[in-house]
Amino acid sequence: MSTATTSEATFARGIHPPEEKHLAEGMPIEILPTPASVMIPLLQHLGAPCEACVEAKQEVAIGDKVGEATSFISSPVHASIDGKTKKATVATLPNGRHVKVIPIKAAAEQSISGQDLFDDVFGGEWPRDGLDAYEPDAISKAALEAGVVGLGGAAFPSHVKLARNEETPIEYLLINGCECEPYLTADYRLMVEVPEAIITGTLLAKHATGAKEAIIGIENNKPKAIAALRKAAEGTGVEVRSLKTKYPQGAERQLTTAMIGREVPTLGLPLQVGAVVQNVGTVAAIARAVLRGKALTHRVITVTGAGIREPKNLLVPIGVSYQELIDYCGGMTEDAARVISGGPMMGFTVGHLSAPVTKGTSGITVLTHEDVKKSEETACIRCGRCVDACPLNLVPTKIALASRAGNAEVAETYYLQACVECGCCAYACPASIPLVQLVRIGKIMLSNK
Amino acid sequence: MLTFVTVILAAAVLVLLAIAMGWVLGWANRAFYVYVDPKILEIQDALPGANCGGCGYVGCNSYADALGTGADEDLTLCGPGGTSCVGAIAEILGIEVTEVWPYKAVVHCAAKLDERLLKMEYQGEPTCAAANLVAGFQGCIYGCMGLSDCVRVCDYDAIHIVDGVAVVDYEKCTGCKLCAAACPRNIITMVPFKRSEMFVVACSNDDFGKEVQSVCTVGCTGCMSCSRVSDMMVMDGNRPAINYDLYEDFTDFEPILEKCKRSSLIFVGIPTEGQVAAVADEEVPERIEADFQTTVDDTEWRG
Repeated sequence: MSTATTSEATFARGIHPPEEKHLAEGMPIEILPTPASVMIPLLQHLGAPCEACVEAKQEVAIGDKVGEATSFISSPVHASIDGKTKKATVATLPNGRHVKVIPIKAAAEQSISGQDLFDDVFGGEWPRDGLDAYEPDAISKAALEAGVVGLGGAAFPSHVKLARNEETPIEYLLINGCECEPYLTADYRLMVEVPEAIITGTLLAKHATGAKEAIIGIENNKPKAIAALRKAAEGTGVEVRSLKTKYPQGAERQLTTAMIGREVPTLGLPLQVGAVVQNVGTVAAIARAVLRGKALTHRVITVTGAGIREPKNLLVPIGVSYQELIDYCGGMTEDAARVISGGPMMGFTVGHLSAPVTKGTSGITVLTHEDVKKSEETACIRCGRCVDACPLNLVPTKIALASRAGNAEVAETYYLQACVECGCCAYACPASIPLVQLVRIGKIMLSNK
Repeated sequence: MLTFVTVILAAAVLVLLAIAMGWVLGWANRAFYVYVDPKILEIQDALPGANCGGCGYVGCNSYADALGTGADEDLTLCGPGGTSCVGAIAEILGIEVTEVWPYKAVVHCAAKLDERLLKMEYQGEPTCAAANLVAGFQGCIYGCMGLSDCVRVCDYDAIHIVDGVAVVDYEKCTGCKLCAAACPRNIITMVPFKRSEMFVVACSNDDFGKEVQSVCTVGCTGCMSCSRVSDMMVMDGNRPAINYDLYEDFTDFEPILEKCKRSSLIFVGIPTEGQVAAVADEEVPERIEADFQTTVDDTEWRG
């Protein structure tokens, strides 16, 4: 516990890649004008896909449900604009999933847009008293109805994490404001601009889970966010803690270790050590869902990178295409080489820009030829840098080389399954071995057995 | 004289030792004799001995054991052995077998590099399994990626990448199924070769017409025309499949081929003598051999 109380708490190992946050850090959240059409994927979360609950050519209003959750670990999806649905089709998301999508053509008259939309999503009063009046079950249910999922990137349905657990009571609610991924600044802008919504959401989540303490962790490279949240949190009992700037500080295991000094068991969840982790964007969405009954139809996205003419932070409707967002940000520069959904560490390369933005898309990073220059792969010399970098204390080289040799059993004995694919090892590898990709192949080999 | 005695002594000792050991071995052979069903030994001889594992057992001997003891009654599991092997095993076991077709691998994609939409330069691990994890590797998410996972597992050098797509060499293919198991997109299936040349659907794209057209110039759009003209073609989702049960006496391929606008339906296999003769008079394009010498001076010395 002693490490947890210092102001510069962190976890062991990890890396510190160039932050590159200066590109979009100073850009206030802009509201994207309503696009001509959106495509709502029926699978935007971790879990079972939704079942469509609208017909083709049906009038839908913003916030209307278009896909119904089919199992406990699932989350409904909603229309993000007013308009008319078209025949369901398929789209390939950047993560490789080929999913059914419902296209919606925007109506000429939108009931809400521009500044009104921003006020509706984040503005107005965010009460902090009297929140105990909500039933814990009602909070989790409201999150489910609103389709709230983890907005940090993994998109795990939030209502599951909000439910009380009788067997292992939750002691700590940890709110992740680290945004350790290079380039991205969406969470940062949210913390600076609407800290009240985050605090209200935190209090609601704390009440729902029955946690005794709620702590917000922010990396110390975001002093403005720390100051804004500390000010907003005054008198609420929510602690705002500054953490060392290190990747992957925002990963839930590393955050748990850094904040409360407890090590999450290998292959286990933070719940096993009495903690539950939520992203700042997620708690803001929970607050909106519970207090205003509004579905998760919009999210904040950073469009950034040296390959973008005007990097911006945008409030966008879910389902808008990558192309449209890039065009709104002045388009790509001449030497743009690769578009990534998310940040450079955990993100996926986008194959086609017509793909829709989902709830889990935290940013679009466009890298230049200079950024993606690949050095030739050479042999592993057992230098151990990947071992020094791995925040999970694994031996990435052993796992990756076993996987390359097609030997999933050996990879499994080195805890292949425990890898969270954060990319520290591949970043640190002087031989440019695609360690993370090899780990992913190993996981697939194992699941095919 | 002394040396002569020494040589004789040494030779005598060795001869005696050899006789003693020979006797011990002979005794051990009888004392520790394990009875093996002669049928199993015969089956072991009948199997090709390639130990490819295509039958599902660890090697030919385990399959022979399973057949000999009756643990497995399916004689047709051996791909490399083919029809003659099945016949031989059936004779040993005293079973009548009906006609068995050799199963061979068919790649359900025929889009060459210039016929498909390629999306981005791929820099990762050069295997299909790895590239399959990347959404934008190529436009078609069903088709062959041409990174040789099947080529690497083939023990018989019977599958190669030609123009970016896997092509089976039917002279060599034994139907061991290893390539089908290695393909991460599952586009290789085993088809009963009822003739030396088989009619197959060379596409595995399950999307709607427009999506297919946007990524491939030859892929099946699921127009269903072929299934309307012939009972042999049955729709499986958005693409046709061939009902090989009706294949035996079927010769009426012309109307089906005429209907297909996308060249998704092709013949694969070993061409008959007549077909070879038909093209024998055609001019063979002159082949230019690569001259590797010319580039040597340009390459950087990496010592």
